[in-house]
Amino acid sequence: MAISFEHVSYTYQAGTPMATSAVSDVSFTVPDHGYLAIIGHTGSGKSTLIQQLNALLKPTAGEITVDDFTITPKTTNTALKPLRRHVGMVFQFPESQLFEETVRQDIAFGPKNFGMGETDANKLADAMLQTVGLDSSYAERSPFELSGGQMRRVAIAGVLAMRPKVLVLDEPTAGLDPQGRQEMMSLFERLHREQGLAIVLVTHQMEDVVQYAEQVAVMRDGKLVKFGTPAEVFSSESWLRENQLDMPQAAQVAQRLANRGLTWDSLPLTADQLADQLAARWPREGGAHV
Amino acid sequence: MENIIEVKHLTYRYQEDDPRPALNDVSFNVHAGEWLAIVGHNGSGKSTLAKSLDGLLPFTTGEVTVGGIQLTPETVWQVREKIGMIFQNPDNQFVGATVEDDVAFGLENRQMPRTEMLPRVKDAIARVGMSDFAQREPSSLSGGQKQRVALAGIVAIAPDVLILDEATSMLDPQGRREMLALVRELRQTQHLTVISITHDIDEAAIADRVLVIDDGQLIDEATPATIFAQGERLVELGLDLPFTEKLKAALRQRGIEPPANYQSAVEMEEWLWQSLSNT
Repeated sequence: MAISFEHVSYTYQAGTPMATSAVSDVSFTVPDHGYLAIIGHTGSGKSTLIQQLNALLKPTAGEITVDDFTITPKTTNTALKPLRRHVGMVFQFPESQLFEETVRQDIAFGPKNFGMGETDANKLADAMLQTVGLDSSYAERSPFELSGGQMRRVAIAGVLAMRPKVLVLDEPTAGLDPQGRQEMMSLFERLHREQGLAIVLVTHQMEDVVQYAEQVAVMRDGKLVKFGTPAEVFSSESWLRENQLDMPQAAQVAQRLANRGLTWDSLPLTADQLADQLAARWPREGGAHV
Repeated sequence: MENIIEVKHLTYRYQEDDPRPALNDVSFNVHAGEWLAIVGHNGSGKSTLAKSLDGLLPFTTGEVTVGGIQLTPETVWQVREKIGMIFQNPDNQFVGATVEDDVAFGLENRQMPRTEMLPRVKDAIARVGMSDFAQREPSSLSGGQKQRVALAGIVAIAPDVLILDEATSMLDPQGRREMLALVRELRQTQHLTVISITHDIDEAAIADRVLVIDDGQLIDEATPATIFAQGERLVELGLDLPFTEKLKAALRQRGIEPPANYQSAVEMEEWLWQSLSNT
């Protein structure tokens, strides 16, 4: 059991007249090395939810487990240092947090801060640079002369240098061009597959959800309104519409064909799944009636 | 058709000795009233181009004419009267303490009398559907609401040309749809010419014409349907593949040959339906 939420609630300014509930009674479990996508409207509680994964916000009620760590309203701040190495957070526009003179120094900052020697930290930084797809020629450059996409890679390398086992990503591709988005998502997929990192992805991109996620959590008004596999979550068009969520494009085409009388074994969610089912029933050239 | 903007042999270098100019001998016209999309991958020069039109970047050689006025250091303020720009990050363009102040800012700069200004600001905010938020601080708004306020600022000034520089790229899907719907409406009611610099395939699809910039050069100019029919090459051009093109590629891998021309989702659905039922 990698990550579990048990009746977790979070109230901003709890105990004051200004108290606002942001997350209310959320429970779910993600297995070891899982890939969870969290979707829902702006203001639905997604960000509040993920900030509790490394106790930037401690739940006001309930209990969160991340591998060997337990977070409750009573968790003290002294217990948090190992948790924060375990759970790496990539916030929106992480490049805005770069500050060092060189790329290498910026990536090595975290490990040094946690007690690693200069030489080892620099070596680690160079390795992480490679992991995010930038060659060693970038190490000595100023992070501020890089393109937006490159700066974001450097910021992510800094998070990876802490050797986290869980990677939390808050709209990691926002503002990148399509090619940059695709490369970024492939990087996370590789870290997930090759190094067994558990991924928690907050996104508005339904195409990414169906392509990469193993489980999906749907938030609405601070509540978890659906939790399951992509196939389960995207099974009902009317439910998605009620919740103002977009269907993946393959499912939209499939649904319209279904409305004209075609039946599907299961609703296709990606272009490949749709093409598989279409090919299976495609009339053979010069063949008899199907 | 009358040209609202004419660009001739525009070249721009960020550093004088730069061997690769950010814009290299770019020439094109923008017709009055059209919606023109400019696409290209990050670093292709498309934002440099947008900023050159507005005189934000003084170009090295070439000629830009906006509404019959040739852009020079002397005429730059006249040219800016004609062009409104909205940028990618809604947080970087606010100056007012409230939504109303912010929309008024552009008019104050033009020294409009207060009695004339107030109704104009109110009307502009109403046109973008933000009347309930007129007294709010811009920082308390969502990304989509902020871009609406930026649009209200444009409506108040009533320029001839609106340039959207990746203005929807930081919005969630709903915010993006709403913003594009609003721009379409304003284009009609305010008789705007729209230039949108974008990676978004849906935004490019609205355009009458698409210009493709690569490595500082104009490499293609066509209707969206012609551009979209280029399939996998679109990714190199900085656009995403339309879903229909992704599906076609997946079908080809499975030995099915779809039509080569670009199909909208509805046209593709029709073709699939015909192919499957026509046996």
